[in-house]
Amino acid sequence: MTEPFHLPRRDFLYSLGATLGTVAFNALLQAEEATAPAAGPLSPKPQHHAAKARSCIYLFMEGGPSHIDTFDPKPKLAELHMKEFRRDNKFQSAMSGGKRYYVNSPFRFRQVGKSGMWMCENFEHLADVADHLCVYKGCQVDSVDHPTACYQMNTGKRFGGDPAIGAWSTYGLGTLNQNLPAFVVLPEGAFPQGGAANWSNGFLPAYYQGTPLRPGGSPILDLNPPAHVSREVQRANLDMLATLNEADRQRHPHHADLAARMEAYELAFHMQTEVPDVVDLNREDARTLAMYGIGQPETDSFGRRCLLARKLVESGVRFVQVFEGGWDSHDYLARAHSARFRCIDQPIAALITDLRDRGLLDETLVIWGGEFGRSPDNGVRGGGQNVAGRDHNAKAMAIWMAGGGVRAGHVVGATDETGAEAVEVVHHVKDFHCTILHVLGLNDNKLTYFHEGRYKQLSQTGGAVITELLA
Amino acid sequence: MRATEGSTTASGERLFVTKVRPLLAEKCLPCHGADPTELKSGFDLTTRESALRGGESEAAAIVPGKPEESPLYQAVRWDGLEMPPKENDRLTPEQIELLRQWIAAGAPWAEEQDRLDKKDARSTEGDWSAEDGVTVETSGGLTAEWTNRRYPPDGIWAFQPIRRPDVPHSAIDATRIQNLIDAFIQAQLAKGGVKRLASPADDRTFIRRATFDLHGLPPTPAEIAKFLADRRPGARARLIERLLADPHYGEQQARHWLDVVRYADTSGFSNDIERPNAWRYRDYVVRSFNADKPYDRFVTEQLAGDELDPNDSEMLIAVGFLRMGPWEHTAMTVAAITRQQFLDDVTHHVGVSLLAQGLRCASCHDHKFDPVPTRDYYRMQAIFAPVQFAEHRVPFLATENARNFAEARRLVESRIEQLERLRRPLHEESDAAKVAYLRERGVDKLKDLPADQRPEGGNFGREFGLNQTEQSLVKIYEKSSQYLARELQRFEPRALSLYSGTDNRYGSLEPVYKVPANRNGEIATVSILAGGSLESPLERVTPGLLSAMVGANDVRGPTAWNTVPNTIDGRRLALANWIASPNNTLTARVIVNRVWQQHFGKGIVATSNNFGLMGARPTHPELLDWLATWFIEHGWSVKRLHRLIMNSATYQQSADHADREQLDAIDSANSLLAYFPPRRLAAEELRDSMLAISGELNDEIGGPGVFPEINWEVALQPRHIMGSVAPAYVPSGTPHERNRRTLYVFRYRTLSDPLLEVFNRPGCDISCERRDETTVTPQVFALFNSEFAHRRSLAFAAGLIDEYSKFNEQIEAAFLRTYGRPPTIAEVDDCREHYNRMLAHHREHVPQPVALPTRVERGMIEEFTGEMVRWQEELPLDHYERDLMPWDVDPEVRALAEVCLVLLNSNEFLYVR
Repeated sequence: MTEPFHLPRRDFLYSLGATLGTVAFNALLQAEEATAPAAGPLSPKPQHHAAKARSCIYLFMEGGPSHIDTFDPKPKLAELHMKEFRRDNKFQSAMSGGKRYYVNSPFRFRQVGKSGMWMCENFEHLADVADHLCVYKGCQVDSVDHPTACYQMNTGKRFGGDPAIGAWSTYGLGTLNQNLPAFVVLPEGAFPQGGAANWSNGFLPAYYQGTPLRPGGSPILDLNPPAHVSREVQRANLDMLATLNEADRQRHPHHADLAARMEAYELAFHMQTEVPDVVDLNREDARTLAMYGIGQPETDSFGRRCLLARKLVESGVRFVQVFEGGWDSHDYLARAHSARFRCIDQPIAALITDLRDRGLLDETLVIWGGEFGRSPDNGVRGGGQNVAGRDHNAKAMAIWMAGGGVRAGHVVGATDETGAEAVEVVHHVKDFHCTILHVLGLNDNKLTYFHEGRYKQLSQTGGAVITELLA
Repeated sequence: MRATEGSTTASGERLFVTKVRPLLAEKCLPCHGADPTELKSGFDLTTRESALRGGESEAAAIVPGKPEESPLYQAVRWDGLEMPPKENDRLTPEQIELLRQWIAAGAPWAEEQDRLDKKDARSTEGDWSAEDGVTVETSGGLTAEWTNRRYPPDGIWAFQPIRRPDVPHSAIDATRIQNLIDAFIQAQLAKGGVKRLASPADDRTFIRRATFDLHGLPPTPAEIAKFLADRRPGARARLIERLLADPHYGEQQARHWLDVVRYADTSGFSNDIERPNAWRYRDYVVRSFNADKPYDRFVTEQLAGDELDPNDSEMLIAVGFLRMGPWEHTAMTVAAITRQQFLDDVTHHVGVSLLAQGLRCASCHDHKFDPVPTRDYYRMQAIFAPVQFAEHRVPFLATENARNFAEARRLVESRIEQLERLRRPLHEESDAAKVAYLRERGVDKLKDLPADQRPEGGNFGREFGLNQTEQSLVKIYEKSSQYLARELQRFEPRALSLYSGTDNRYGSLEPVYKVPANRNGEIATVSILAGGSLESPLERVTPGLLSAMVGANDVRGPTAWNTVPNTIDGRRLALANWIASPNNTLTARVIVNRVWQQHFGKGIVATSNNFGLMGARPTHPELLDWLATWFIEHGWSVKRLHRLIMNSATYQQSADHADREQLDAIDSANSLLAYFPPRRLAAEELRDSMLAISGELNDEIGGPGVFPEINWEVALQPRHIMGSVAPAYVPSGTPHERNRRTLYVFRYRTLSDPLLEVFNRPGCDISCERRDETTVTPQVFALFNSEFAHRRSLAFAAGLIDEYSKFNEQIEAAFLRTYGRPPTIAEVDDCREHYNRMLAHHREHVPQPVALPTRVERGMIEEFTGEMVRWQEELPLDHYERDLMPWDVDPEVRALAEVCLVLLNSNEFLYVR
């Protein structure tokens, strides 16, 4: 009923941006003009320096996995097991002062891969890809409670309100597929402690906010209208809307926002059909599903998210963060950590293998780690030998990286003889952040945004790249 | 020869003292000198000797007389080495040239005393240009370098006394000067080369603009008709009076203020527990604006109401202002750290909200840009050292909305009872297991058994005999009950408040902080913390204020105005008297600028939370000062200020301009205000307007937060709280309760209505100085696809059909409500065509009823086992009254609702012009 209206396409590209742009749109542009797309806030931007990794999958183990029981065995604890000591000072929480007991690891270790790195025996599958891992034991953080430590690990700042690493990365690099969110978050179901502030755009424009894809329901909120609304009705409404908007635009030809908003409606209409395809795991073959442990009760949930992470990265999403909680083992360390190992072991090994087989591992940075490590002792939660767990520990943890630009098959840094504190290649988390950005081709000192009177950056006040972690 | 060399050295020294030394201090010394134990690369730039020696590379960093061979010079040019490393810290070409000249002059290095002598001599020397900057006297930085550094005069403008400027006379069109605001605006326009003014906005545009600005709602067709019918002179002024006198005025003002103070009903962090009485502060703000409480009084009450009058309920509620930041203390956090976190938050927050000075930078070091030494930061912080939290028992005022408490309380209680019902069998099972355990062993009590026959740990524990899932459920139910028990506090006559006293040894997650019998004793002392770290205290400080502030009367030195007593009580009152004073050069400018921003989208200072060196400069500095003095002289009345601004021709001009192409070339950002800057509706305005237009808005004022229906996926999204999951979000039971204004919607820090979030409602962790206005596709999903938008359209259509029998009348009313104007003939025809097409569709398609979710599947990973626990949560929706749904109505209503949906998505509705 109405003529399609014509808009000065270049003019509104910038204001368009969106958490979701559109492939359809880029295609249109290329078809019509066969020139390079104009710069929008999420269009791809050059790296600061040449780097192999183009995208990142960050497997965030919320709760604080124990380094002592995964990648950093401490035989000394066998001697000290259940020996008592005291630690009191005013900089500890109510739970971490007072009488404490050393706890030996309930897990057995063996050396794996060409490097002979130590790994807990429960990681059966991960051992097969050990030569791709660069395990780092020197990182330290400032916080011993979950939300502030999660905020610091994800945003650099302990108190929330700052942009997450994924937001900084997409701010610096844009994204490769304008039809999908640039920064996708895959929560386990319940949001982690501190909630959405863990993937916030902070003070960066809203384009860079992480988009949680939900395990069930619509992958993007209100992607589709209520059940009774047909596509035909939607199209008719859109045409009617275009008629009203076009008349209004002609009355106010200088108001640039009007055109951008008109185009956003057309983009949204296209996305309704295109987005669900990308997140549809049913298109994967049975072998792939089995490899990730999909269909097995313990590995299904995390396996699905690992596979989805691969598909998203493959489709051009810049940053994917997978959250997996349950690591806060103050008690029942043996039982709780071994259950966690069973959930993640096979899916992670599958993810790395799958990325490698598809030639994507070289251009993807994979990170595994929590918000802090755990203590060599049981804190003050008491309990006997069988129920013992570990307290939080900001001074030592284990993280590993894999993929493009990372020094594969190496262990960097070390903790003291009980695992209480990092003692070699020790770096504050801000340096780890600089390193992540560096591997993605970004320079923390150049990746800044003016806010509240100064140029802010992920590392807060500047940091150094941990060169030992680089290939 | 000697003479020449001598003069080179002398000028080189002057260059060093006036330019190079400050440059090194700003750009290099933080890493190469400030801390002798942490010299980056071992390079020390504090003395000439160490500077020439170089760092770890052991090569001289400076070769006197030979800049090109000096690594320092190469580094600052980013030639090889890149220094300073941060892109934004890079030296400008002018600064690099200074360094080159100085090295070429032999890199002379005047020693400290020599340098100070030269500084003192500057006023007599007479050849110092303004670009050398000015020094600012403060309480003193940690280094002499900082204390004596120079500031560009325009960078410290906000510390200069406010002086009433002369009114300019260079008008473009003197007949369009309705008040003196226009004189200032026209003078700048003329100076900028603008030849003619935009025409005045027409009446329909004006009433829509004014009503949205002051109420956050569209004018009703009746209000429009009345305004258009008023043909006597002064109709616009009378309209403005009516709007200012309406209680919706206070709500709209409160929305702006709550952005600045980061209002929320919860605490944030891991538990995001409720602040059950925070709503009373929110309503206090509404009351204050409606009463046109003088701004100086408003500020004083919020900072020190309890010290003004500890027996006045309103005053105890007002100081909730100081507790607005996110804050949590749990068993896992460290008391000394969470206390410091509060002190840092409140110090920074007072600076940002009332003084437009971000003070946090000065918590670790002397301020990098502004004349705020870290000493001042901690002196200010010492004002808050006696502040302790308290939920005072404060009777409800007659003006507070305590209606409907019984019903709201019953809903919470029923959820608690339901959890009780779920827990009971588990407790019974455990009790039975205990009895069985004892019976098997032939005893009555556990202590009758020898130690080795008792359960592990020596006693039963609460969960004895339960399997792992049951144990998890007991925990989940208990945490949910605690969470809900806190909600009951909403209806108690308590205030989110505080008192002054000695350290209140707060435990974790206490539901109510109380005032101890004896609050006197030793107040915690405050020390300068090196690097902001509690572990590195330097010298102690006493309470004090920003020392760079001389005051409007230009009097330096301690006066009653700028002295804070070192007593338990009275510190905050002294702070309030210093801030809420005509003498303070920031306060009036800051609030006047915020009010200006409400009307023009951008303040005269674009960064309304930062009047510092790194903030924006005022576009109209004289106007800002004129407004500030006018404001003070008119009793700090915010309503008078609105009246003044809105009666100006500048405010009443059109959003279009005949010479727009030329204007875009001169002033693309419209800083000169050659035309009225259109704006998109703010998130709350959008939601409230849709409800108002559909006829569903319940415009009741005040009371505890309400719970509208939000996207069900978000509502039911499990939110992690320590070791458990928070109970599901449940909407209020009736449309009447759900359809309150957004201001009254319960504000979680970790759960946001996606409709509001995508339309740029800010989070509540950091102060929001100005809303973003992005255009992103999720906004389309929220406005075109959401249940909310479809329900409003349906109610809108049903109301139109009830009221009007003819299609033309229905469409006319729809346009009047949505756009404030009647439709054109063509628009009516388009709407009819669309309606007919939709009617044909809806006659063919009858929507099937969709049931509400009554129970949700929950899951979380249990930290004790590392395994997923799943359970069902019942939603208490048995008596839930639903909105009008598509299966409740005829095809005619559904068809008209499609037209209404289109109107509510259109640009003419979304923008205020």
